[in-house]
Amino acid sequence: MPILDRFDLSGRTAIVTGAGSNLGREMALALAEAGADIVGVGRRPEPLEETGALVRERGRRFLARPTDVTDSAEVNAMVAAAIAEFGTIEILVNNAGGGAAGRGKTLPELTDEDWHLGIDTNLTSAFFCSRAIIEHFVEHEHGRIINVTSGWGFRGARDRYMYPISKAGVISLTKALAMSYARANVRSSCIAPGAFPHELTPEVENRAGLQPAGRFGRMNEIGPLAVFLASDAAEYLSGETVLIDGGAIAAGVTPAGIAPVVPGGAA
Amino acid sequence: MTFFSLAGKHALVTGAVGPFQRALAVALAEAGADVSLTTASAQLDEEVQANSIFNECWSIGRRGEAITLALTDEVAVEAAVAGLEERIAPIDILVNAPHGAVIKPFLEMTAEEVGATFNTNLAGVMVTTRVVGRRMVERGHGRVVNLVSILHDRGVPNTAVYAATQGALLGLTKSLGIEWIRSGVTVNALGFGFTEELAGPQQDPELRAALERYIPLQRLERGEDLQGALVYLASDEAGFVTSELLVVDGAISLHG
Repeated sequence: MPILDRFDLSGRTAIVTGAGSNLGREMALALAEAGADIVGVGRRPEPLEETGALVRERGRRFLARPTDVTDSAEVNAMVAAAIAEFGTIEILVNNAGGGAAGRGKTLPELTDEDWHLGIDTNLTSAFFCSRAIIEHFVEHEHGRIINVTSGWGFRGARDRYMYPISKAGVISLTKALAMSYARANVRSSCIAPGAFPHELTPEVENRAGLQPAGRFGRMNEIGPLAVFLASDAAEYLSGETVLIDGGAIAAGVTPAGIAPVVPGGAA
Repeated sequence: MTFFSLAGKHALVTGAVGPFQRALAVALAEAGADVSLTTASAQLDEEVQANSIFNECWSIGRRGEAITLALTDEVAVEAAVAGLEERIAPIDILVNAPHGAVIKPFLEMTAEEVGATFNTNLAGVMVTTRVVGRRMVERGHGRVVNLVSILHDRGVPNTAVYAATQGALLGLTKSLGIEWIRSGVTVNALGFGFTEELAGPQQDPELRAALERYIPLQRLERGEDLQGALVYLASDEAGFVTSELLVVDGAISLHG
């Protein structure tokens, strides 16, 4: 089959958590562009409906399923509803997450609640969703799980605990899933976005020069990577984490603010 | 497909005629690119294979050339690239896919074999990347993809010199990716695992069976397995991916 056809997702259905905004919405829309129907998952219904309208504009079906992905009973019900609606699910994108928990607190200041919130939001949610769908994938001998970590999954930083730790856990979950279900034709991979600011305020824009690329990631750059990883073109790829960060981790040994020397002085 | 079209682009796939070259070239052609190829020597079998690959791209409707070129000779590479760009189009995509592993105990490697292994797998890549990369940087756009074995950071007996070149390729990739990203040129590595063409499993059915049991995806790697990742990395959509090693290895490196 010609290579571009192997990226096609027509007839497939993807569950995307955190689909109401930002990278989750972008991935949902790109998967829809590539042919997939979408189950949009998130806490609040309104943003999901906005994503849904955009998915339907692309000619695909959309089911909005408001869910707290840190609650396993809700997750199990969400997966059951998705299967009931679409028959089969082929793709799960574990994107939901956030970095607010305990940010900036020193170790003695961190509460039990901070710890559990951070781990639950980023790691437990991916675990619950993967566990809920895996028997369906095994039964149909086809499944693609795409987890979303962060450059923070590779880094250490002062007084940052839950976000990096949970995101490193997501990378490890990716490997465990890849090894456990390889023989059932289930693939597991992970996207590690660098800086993709939600809002480009002037203050944020001013910091773009600190990035090795001289810019942040653009929202429309994340979706195509999800499409590739979800597709048959990634058949022999599993357990792998793909950085999409404009070289930020590779360049991490350079002090922030030291722009790379550019040939010809171009900026 | 909305994404990943390479229509209007010109790709150069370099190196000796290796196990992946046909699949890599054909994928780029199928995605819309004109494809040119190099072989390291004018030996008849290499030339026949290069022409066969070229004909397959041509039958898809693409242009390009298959040329014989010593990649360690910068003057020759400069002249060849200038000619290709003049006759076909500026090169947008450079795929460095050399193939020259010498498998033998380190203590038995001759100085000539060490030198040849470095020349084929590393020096040739650096020369080609300098020549083509300079043009890409000037034009403000380019994609460089280096094929790198998972041996770059794994220990396998009798591959030490080859493995050293693969580690060096990864260092080259990571550094150049940062050096050129503000010029619109990305540099990435495409990691591969144990392939169908390896002499060991081809000659030894027991070894082959053992590898197939050990590789989580239960089979040796084929050229087609790299096509999707190559087209992704070569595409405009991957403009924020640089200095990255994208491993497509049937998950074997997860073992350790």
